[in-house]
Amino acid sequence: MHINVTREIMGSGPARAGFTILLVMIAMALLAPLIAPFDPHDQSTAALLAPSMNHWLGTNHVGQDIWSRLVFGARTSLLVGFGVGVLATLLGTIFGVSAALIGGIYERIVMRLVDAFVVIPMVIVIILVAAYVKPTILVLIVLLALLNWQSGARIIWAQALSQKERKYVAAARSFGAGKFYIAWRHIVPALGPILLVDFIYGIRRAVFMEAGLAFLGITDPARVSWGMMMRDALSFSYLNVWQWWLLPTGIALSLTIVGLTFVGYGVEPIIDPRLRGVEVA
Amino acid sequence: MMFSRRNIITYIIALAFILALNFLLPRMMPGDPLMAIYGEEALVAMTPQLKADLVERFALDQPLWRQFGAYILELCQGRLGYSYYYKAPVLSIVLGRLPWTMLLVGTALVLSTILGIVLGIESGWRRGLWTDRAMLAGLMSLNGFPDFFLGMVLLIVFGVTWGVFPLAGALTPYSGLTGWAAVLDAIKHLVLPVAALTLAHLSTNYLLTRNTMITVLKEPYMLTARAKGLSQGALKYRHAGRNSLLPVVTQTGIWTGRVVTGALLVELVFAYPGVGYLTYEAMMARDYPIIQGLFLVVAVVVLAVNFLVELFYTTLDPRIRGVNRAY
Repeated sequence: MHINVTREIMGSGPARAGFTILLVMIAMALLAPLIAPFDPHDQSTAALLAPSMNHWLGTNHVGQDIWSRLVFGARTSLLVGFGVGVLATLLGTIFGVSAALIGGIYERIVMRLVDAFVVIPMVIVIILVAAYVKPTILVLIVLLALLNWQSGARIIWAQALSQKERKYVAAARSFGAGKFYIAWRHIVPALGPILLVDFIYGIRRAVFMEAGLAFLGITDPARVSWGMMMRDALSFSYLNVWQWWLLPTGIALSLTIVGLTFVGYGVEPIIDPRLRGVEVA
Repeated sequence: MMFSRRNIITYIIALAFILALNFLLPRMMPGDPLMAIYGEEALVAMTPQLKADLVERFALDQPLWRQFGAYILELCQGRLGYSYYYKAPVLSIVLGRLPWTMLLVGTALVLSTILGIVLGIESGWRRGLWTDRAMLAGLMSLNGFPDFFLGMVLLIVFGVTWGVFPLAGALTPYSGLTGWAAVLDAIKHLVLPVAALTLAHLSTNYLLTRNTMITVLKEPYMLTARAKGLSQGALKYRHAGRNSLLPVVTQTGIWTGRVVTGALLVELVFAYPGVGYLTYEAMMARDYPIIQGLFLVVAVVVLAVNFLVELFYTTLDPRIRGVNRAY
């Protein structure tokens, strides 16, 4: 599978736009302390102030600067997103590739479990767990990753199976290469673009879920998060504060997800070449 | 009926996982398992006699496998526990709320499926033209808007600012409406939450249909149909459209789970009295029996829908029989 991923992304307009959005969000998250004029937890000003030169987006119900919270909220979303993306792709690769290479009973057990987990509604599971274990951000990342690698593992498994039959693998094997060596040096690099798509969609699902769970109020209340800010804003929907409280937060969240969708869409023809309109073997 | 054994085993594993999680989680918590099953406040309200009864019923003084037996026995009798917060059996509370969620999710599923398919067919038919590009960009952006955010925006615009639709609930309280007036009232309350869910989940079906449509349009039988001089409508819907439906049907199962999850959050926005709002209330009140019961009922309903959909599409498309699931 020799595809130039950079060209693939940069070749499509939506993907370029998505990439730009993501870069802005990442910059916002990394430079948060420099961009935010206030501490996101500082309650020293009056509550529910309208936007002003001092407080660009006004203040919330306990007098915290909304703009500063918005900036710091990007950290939570992206941290959870990337954390889950990396972990879930890693798990998907380990199980997908090992199932394809080892085969036999092991493959059947792994793939059966994967199938079973794909049909279980994950958010409900997280809600139940969260009722008992108040999740810190680390627990949340691990939990989301554990529940999110299965659909990726399926695709990786199918691709690894087809790679396994290629001549170069047979060649490597004839030189005495072990299973682990073949997996690591040949199969995984060949799966690169698919892992990238899996990674991007993993991030997107995680950002979505983190926001939803925070909106439900079951994430760590000490961490600023967009979902939590929207939940706070909901209680004041009868005032006009939603214009600078709810809207910017919701738009920041939506933009992040749209950015990821667009990048994913740009990379997707790699998995499904039919979408490109050209037949690729 | 060639429904494969493999699929049945998959669902048995999924169900076993759900039951095991629901059983193990409260019992593995440090401290009194009864407290983890019933919640702190309930425990304070209980008499020692009742406590002893419950310990016996759940076999909490016995080894784990016996406890599991007792747990399954309780479930088989339809006893999901008792909520001390609502002062009622969990099953009746959850079942009382379930119809509202089913109404909400069902309406949204039907609407977004139909709209998604029609838009997908039209968009795929015009592949590359500006209408297709506009639809693609618009719906993919819409895809990024979380359903609860869409719900909040709709609530503020149509509910708070314009006052066209009611702000919360499923019926106007104490209105004393009956017959058609009551139905109309329920519909009015349903419009905004359904719109939020439909808009947020429309793009999944749209993208799937559009993608398949593009492939289907290249098939030789499309050329034949065109050569026969069929009208555009017949070509688009009867020939290409119908053959683009399959991926949508195969995805419905997984997708239903997602819409149900979405409904949990949208219900919270509109204080819609379904299982989602109940989940929220129970989380706030730390009402463990309700949370466990909800988890079980919602998970089992989603599994059942998935199962039925798979059953349905294996009969619908003989090509799938005996073959692994798509991708």
